[in-house]
Amino acid sequence: MVFRINLNNSLSTPKNITHLNIGEHAFIAAFSNGFIACKLMAMGLLPGSEIILVRKAPFGGACYIRAKQHYVVLRNKEAEHVILDSEVSK
Amino acid sequence: MYPDLDMTQTKKIALLGNPNSGKSSLFNQLTGLRQKVGNFPGVTVERKSGYAKLKEDTEVLIVDLPGTYSLYPTSADERIAVNALLDKGNKDYPDLIIYIADVTNLERHLLLLTQVVDLGFPLLVALNMNDVAEEQHLQCDAIKLSEELNLEVVKINGRTGAGLEVLKEKISQLLSQDQWERVSDFYTLIPQEQMIVEEVRHLLPTRNDYHALLLVHHLSWLGFLTEDEKQNIQNIRDKHAFHPINNQLDEIMNRYKKFSPILPRILNRSYTTAKTLTDKVDAVLTHKIIGPFIFFMLMFFVFQAIFSWSALPMDYIDESFAMLSVSLQRALPVNLFTRLLTEGLIPGISGILVFVPQITILFLLITLLEEVGYMSRAVFMFDSIMQKFGLNGRSIVSLISGGACAIPAIMSTRTISNWKERLTTIMVTPLISCSARIPVFAILIGFVMPSYKIGFFNAQGLVFMGLYLFGVVAALTAAFVFKKVLKTEEYSFLMLELPEYRQPHWKNVFYTVYDKVRSFVFGAGKIILIISLILWFLASFGPPKMMKMASDVATIESSLLHYDAQQTALYVASKKLEFSYAGYAGRFIEPVIKPLGFDWKIGIALITSFAAREVFVGTISTLYSIGRDADNLTIRQKLQQEKNNEGKPVFTSAVSLSLILFYLLAMQCMSTLATVYRETRSWKWPAIQFVYMTGAAYLVSLLVYQLLK
Repeated sequence: MVFRINLNNSLSTPKNITHLNIGEHAFIAAFSNGFIACKLMAMGLLPGSEIILVRKAPFGGACYIRAKQHYVVLRNKEAEHVILDSEVSK
Repeated sequence: MYPDLDMTQTKKIALLGNPNSGKSSLFNQLTGLRQKVGNFPGVTVERKSGYAKLKEDTEVLIVDLPGTYSLYPTSADERIAVNALLDKGNKDYPDLIIYIADVTNLERHLLLLTQVVDLGFPLLVALNMNDVAEEQHLQCDAIKLSEELNLEVVKINGRTGAGLEVLKEKISQLLSQDQWERVSDFYTLIPQEQMIVEEVRHLLPTRNDYHALLLVHHLSWLGFLTEDEKQNIQNIRDKHAFHPINNQLDEIMNRYKKFSPILPRILNRSYTTAKTLTDKVDAVLTHKIIGPFIFFMLMFFVFQAIFSWSALPMDYIDESFAMLSVSLQRALPVNLFTRLLTEGLIPGISGILVFVPQITILFLLITLLEEVGYMSRAVFMFDSIMQKFGLNGRSIVSLISGGACAIPAIMSTRTISNWKERLTTIMVTPLISCSARIPVFAILIGFVMPSYKIGFFNAQGLVFMGLYLFGVVAALTAAFVFKKVLKTEEYSFLMLELPEYRQPHWKNVFYTVYDKVRSFVFGAGKIILIISLILWFLASFGPPKMMKMASDVATIESSLLHYDAQQTALYVASKKLEFSYAGYAGRFIEPVIKPLGFDWKIGIALITSFAAREVFVGTISTLYSIGRDADNLTIRQKLQQEKNNEGKPVFTSAVSLSLILFYLLAMQCMSTLATVYRETRSWKWPAIQFVYMTGAAYLVSLLVYQLLK
């Protein structure tokens, strides 16, 4: 497992959770906010973790994702800080 | 027999683990009914503790620390857990930690475990084998895990209690050891941290390097550090250009790197990516359209249940106490003590117990929904809407329950972890029309809207609905204002784990409900009893001379009017109420309420309604000598005939609507205020609530009356 954290926001239009279609898989590449990174990593979502966007909240505003055995919901403004890769970074 | 008994203090054992790890089940298994729920000092997070018997002669105190994901807390309740482990002077500072790890999410649960191991606490791991693991045939080699971690690992099942005896045995063994020999080796401090920690450890006593490092991280909110100590540590931080978030990230990642390779060696297989039961259920329950629909159906059911299931027991409680009063009145000599007992104390206690059915039913249903894992789904669905009003997804449950009774609704806000969102929910919930307003509305609505049909609809029914909607709008508006006014340092975030659906654990449900009822009866109940005694005194006593005169005059007037005995009694009672202290208070406030269209008699009713809104009916009946048993129709007819000094009817539509709106908005429920006091641990919030709600009621009633009169 490779850990890569990128705390600066200067990546060119990186894909994040809010860009996923429902049912789409992706791998967490990095986090662009330290607080959110710490919280999500403590909850078991690590760089390299595979996630699926399960669904969006009925009235918008939040995403429901699944990673391994975790089911986690996060607001869009938090989901934007989870940078994704379509494959595991080597 | 036990020579050591006096020498050994009771040992403190902390239960620690992630949220949803089965901590509370284990706590209930260990302590049973010998648990105490209080609050952690200074905050409103519940502190659960209780005694557990390890062996015949050994008792230990178990403290259930709030669940946290790591020693880097992100909310007030997580901070409590961390604070208890960092402060040697803290009353929850443990002698030993039982770390609960759930086998289905073992990787994540190991993070916090390695952190507390590094803090140097004697510790053993309770590996919770939950239903989901069983279902998926997930197996874990506890012996191997124990070897890998160099810690005792005991398999338990929080639900059945399996493994509990072994766990207790191991606890006894660990407690009897003098020395805890376990090298902390999950994290090696980086050179910068080494230098900082070295300087800090010269400044103040610390358990070990990692303990010192955490003090450096958390100094801003650790209450036990003095200002000087904080300043000194801050200086050291500045000197070494310490960046907490970066270091925290590196630490977390290094820990995962260290323990993640263990997992394949101890679990029989990796996690399944196949659709689980939870996936299937959530496809329906969190569906875009069906999800909210099911939620409202469920809430409708909860609402109905509170209403209909509680009616019978409430009547029973009411009648039993009334009968008790009556029979005591007959049996005891007529004196002050008897009156205090039968007119003050017994109705006061009855007024507390009468809420018990509603509280029990609401918490039974809410705890069930929480236990199966549904509640966090509701939070997910409604978070964005509630956010706009400064509320939390969970607030919607409280608001809806408020339609039955604000007391259990306010108690149910304990599940909201963000203090500001919780406080806002507490402050606005009583604006939702509760069941106690119904009798008042029912009597007065006829004066506002005559009974006829508009198409299929009953006109009065429409007004009724309008009143409920008005309450909802008022609550959301107030929430919006509180959102703008209240300040908080707490960062608002969701990042919430949805637990997997599971069968409710009945023991947990029972303890939760038992706990809520008990805390209402003994917490808020005390205040309710005191206020109801004061109100009884005010309505039953007045200046002795005036009371005597009022009673004499009424008796003479009755005989002149040829009243029979019952009419005379009613008339005397009404005149006595007029000249009681409450009557004086009613006349005293008359100038203030006159612009709303209320006379002093309504003033008396407003004052006594503070005991509970439905008291309005009883007070009005007494004032107008209607008699306690009269039905709504009789009362309404009587009120219709009521004329003021100028010979005009008192209850015009303007007065009635003004009065209805006053009852809708004003804070007239001492039980709710007592509950708010209990939940916020301060009189400040009930005071603000009383002022803002009653103030809004005054303004709205003023406006309506002045426009309509």
